[in-house]
Amino acid sequence: MMIKIENLHASVDGKEILKGINLTIGAGEVHAIMGPNGSGKSTLSNIIAGRDGYTVTSGSITYKGKNLLEMSPEQRSWEGIFLAFQYPVEIPGVNNTYLLKAGVNARRKHHGEQELDAMEFLQLVREKAKLVELDPSFLSRGVNEGFSGGEKKRNEIFQMAVLEPSLALLDETDSGLDIDALRIVAGGVNKLRSSDRSIVMVTHYQRLLDYIVPDVVHVLADGKILKTGGKELALELEERGYDWVRQEAAA
Amino acid sequence: MSGSLQTLRQQAWQAFEEKGLPTTRDEDWKYTDLSRIQTLLGEQWWQPAGTGAVAIDMVELPGLDAWRMVFNNGYFDPARSELPPGVTITSLASLMQDEPAKVVDLLAYQPDAPLSSGLTAANSALAADGACICIPANTRLDQPLYLLHLNSGGTAHLRTGIELGPHAELEVIEHFHGQHSEAGLTNSVTAIRLAAGARCTHYRLQLEAAKQCHSGRVEVSQKADSSYQLHAVELGGMLSRCDVISRLDERGASCELGGLFVATGRQHIDHHTRIEHNAPYCSSRESYRSVLDGRSHGVFNGKIVVAKGAIKTDSAQNNANLLLSPDAAVDTKPELEIYHDDVKCAHGVTVGQLDKNQLFYLKSRGIAEEEAKQLLTVAFADEQLARMNNHSIRRFIERAAFAKLPSITDLEGMLV
Ligand SMILES: Nc1ncnc2c1ncn2[C@@H]1O[C@H](COP(=O)(O)OP(=O)(O)OP(=O)(O)O)[C@@H](O)[C@H]1O
Ligand SMILES: [Mg+2]
Repeated sequence: MMIKIENLHASVDGKEILKGINLTIGAGEVHAIMGPNGSGKSTLSNIIAGRDGYTVTSGSITYKGKNLLEMSPEQRSWEGIFLAFQYPVEIPGVNNTYLLKAGVNARRKHHGEQELDAMEFLQLVREKAKLVELDPSFLSRGVNEGFSGGEKKRNEIFQMAVLEPSLALLDETDSGLDIDALRIVAGGVNKLRSSDRSIVMVTHYQRLLDYIVPDVVHVLADGKILKTGGKELALELEERGYDWVRQEAAA
Repeated sequence: MSGSLQTLRQQAWQAFEEKGLPTTRDEDWKYTDLSRIQTLLGEQWWQPAGTGAVAIDMVELPGLDAWRMVFNNGYFDPARSELPPGVTITSLASLMQDEPAKVVDLLAYQPDAPLSSGLTAANSALAADGACICIPANTRLDQPLYLLHLNSGGTAHLRTGIELGPHAELEVIEHFHGQHSEAGLTNSVTAIRLAAGARCTHYRLQLEAAKQCHSGRVEVSQKADSSYQLHAVELGGMLSRCDVISRLDERGASCELGGLFVATGRQHIDHHTRIEHNAPYCSSRESYRSVLDGRSHGVFNGKIVVAKGAIKTDSAQNNANLLLSPDAAVDTKPELEIYHDDVKCAHGVTVGQLDKNQLFYLKSRGIAEEEAKQLLTVAFADEQLARMNNHSIRRFIERAAFAKLPSITDLEGMLV
């Protein structure tokens, strides 16, 4: 099992946002999380990645058998957690490639592995850039600096490819991508699917799931997972919206 | 010494005796207490220290190909200098001796000039050397001109004059450097005159020794369509003040003032700038950044004056400050004095800590907290340096600046 979230309650500034999340993801599985705006999808992703500002009031997250909530964000990254941000931040002056090299080598060091030298690393990023058809000129630019919305999203998946996570959380990676870019980026994600890598996709649109077919689809609404089903659930949601799920759950 | 030069010196001395050092009661000196100069150097703090006879160890600015004038404690060192042919570049001392009438203008003390003080008067009265540079019309030096001011403590008054003829071009580097543990004062005044269409890029690097005080004044007057670009970097010294006055006197002139302070410990750095839009269609850009750690104190005062009739003035100013420690402080004040309606004056000030979202982003990519903080600090400062076209200088400053901060593991890798 990759990750097990049990009865997770979390709040921001005293306001409860997650109200008892239960979610288990096996190794190699791809899960989609859908749900209305403001229901807590990004909050859940952020808490898994370790962003501060959230208070976990009860519940637990077990990742690869360890207590995830005790780890710093960087430790989580070293242990294989990756968040593709809904809104990737611009960091002018920090070189995209440098960021990844520092990240990859910090992780290797943590695991007692030899750090990659400049040449080896360059080879790695070039190869991974091809996977999502990222123009190599982006490699030497400041992190997301002046990138368009879609370029930022593509860069996130490129980073995922370089960092080779065990658990990738893709928070609305599809929004902002044009039709061709969506196909290319989704293709990249598919190539990254493997039996020891789990992927969680947060999305509002069925379209993404046509490309990256999920094993499981969840509906997160009002801070709870109200319904879980197969890929056909996404089609049903697209057609009928979320009200019926709420009503069903209330009954 | 010719009569008029002598008179000028005497008048300046009198003005200095009357004024003395500015005090914190003076609005322009509110945050910068110069009484320390006297505490450190005694009653006769103004007394020049040496004769420049002893050559001070050189510093290397790797990769810089430039014509060079070296000064020891305020005195020109011809043996270690190399000057270009075809343009007039001399030391102030030799010009004073050979053609004293020529330096009267340069050395004159103008009590009414903005931001002038007792220090300016002392400089007029006592400056014994400096550089006098004349670039004739339509001439461009094949290499930058590097003015290296080395000191080993004590007081030095320097006066430098730079004149560019119509459409002349010059890149000039003033580098003030000390590596000693003595107390001292550098009092430097640089006057720059740009004729129509002239272009000047000016690097002003302050890397004084730890107990050195530094006072600088840069006065630029610009004719039509001339352009002036300043990169002021403040890294060294215990107390440093620099006044920059840029006068856009004719149509179409433009200036760009950039500054970076990196201060630690108890360092105090103060820049007062004044940009005068005295003619139509002039533009000015100003961007200052500071990184303040320890108990250091930064001061930035940026005044923009738009005269009556200066139509289509286009001006923008920005000052961003990063405080790395709770004990570091900054006083920053943009000031606009506008006597005309049809102007564009944008300004912005930020004072803050590192951005939490950026920090989290880096950590989520596996970069440990401390290194992430250092990375963002370096990036913040480096953004200011990115405007420098001279790569050797940029690298030199990056290394010197970032050596002051907790160092990141792979700084060289980051700077590639
Ligand atoms: N830092 C914060 N401060 C205050 N409220 C917050 C904060 N973070 C999240 N919230 C609130 O928590 C709720 C859940 O937000 P979250 O971003 O997790 O929603 P979401 O499901 O990702 O929505 P969307 O589909 O629009 O991205 C929202 O009401 C939001 O306003
Ligand atoms: Mg969201």
